[in-house]
Amino acid sequence: MSFLTGFLGILGIISFISFFFLMRFKASSKQTDRSDRIKWSSYIPYRENSTKKTRKNENSGQDADFEN
Amino acid sequence: MSKHSALDTFGRSGNPLIRSDIFSRQTSSLHERMTLQGAVDKTGILLFLTVLTAAVSWNIDSPMMGLISGLGALAAFISGIATFGFWFFFIGWIIKPRPHLAPKTAPIYALGMGFGIGIMSEQAEMMFPGIVIQAVSLTFFVAASLLFAYKSGVIKPNQNFLLIIFSATVGIFLTYIANLIFSAFTGASFSFLTDNGAFGIGISLFVVAIAALNLVLDFDIIEQAHEQGAPKYIEWFGAMALVATLIWLYIEILRLLMKLRSR
Repeated sequence: MSFLTGFLGILGIISFISFFFLMRFKASSKQTDRSDRIKWSSYIPYRENSTKKTRKNENSGQDADFEN
Repeated sequence: MSKHSALDTFGRSGNPLIRSDIFSRQTSSLHERMTLQGAVDKTGILLFLTVLTAAVSWNIDSPMMGLISGLGALAAFISGIATFGFWFFFIGWIIKPRPHLAPKTAPIYALGMGFGIGIMSEQAEMMFPGIVIQAVSLTFFVAASLLFAYKSGVIKPNQNFLLIIFSATVGIFLTYIANLIFSAFTGASFSFLTDNGAFGIGISLFVVAIAALNLVLDFDIIEQAHEQGAPKYIEWFGAMALVATLIWLYIEILRLLMKLRSR
């Protein structure tokens, strides 16, 4: 194995671990708090019934909601 | 202390139906939203499946494996089209994206692509020993660097970014299709795609750059879907998009390294 292959192999292992480690974290506010973000929801249709169900239950906490 | 005084006065219901597991299970299933950890897990699973079938096709040297790899690549292509859709200039969507299919199609895609990658990598390794390790390492180095740049806000994808990358990607895709048709009739490929001169390497570098920047779009899809509380299956969709781009990036880096080493 050449020096270059060995060096790149170690770099690859470090990069692989860093990649999966970084993916778990949320992006910084510099990334998320922007007005010119791509609106992916207009390109990727979430299945309607699922969306409706999740929206319907958005505000439900541990207890039931009683209307006054 | 509950937020409802009625619950404090009368306590929680003793009704077995309301207190049963069924009720809580239904509630929890409706609440299932995607998480970043879920997307990470699915990406890991898909990469594992890809490596698994790649190892099979690398190690089993028989004519049958060529056929299996071809069928695997075809299954991966169909899975990709079914999930991501097919968009055509001027007409729009011919096949609409169906992200809810991703939990079923993503593993098929990963397994199918693995067979193709295995054969390709084995041939490259026979010609240039050590090239596969170099290509895999560089793929993850590029991916990790771009992920850091994305998460820290150094690269900020917007609508113009999407338009440029999408146009370039479609352009590359159409060039490859044209090359495929050309080679089917003439038996030769476009020289600028296979040439190991400065122009050919420049083209390869451009394609690697576009493939790498597609990763930024995948990171943005996953991040935004998580923020908006997208359904659980979007984890598979995001992971599939990410793995598809990683595979493309790996192939392009492998081609670039082959051109460089054959000079």
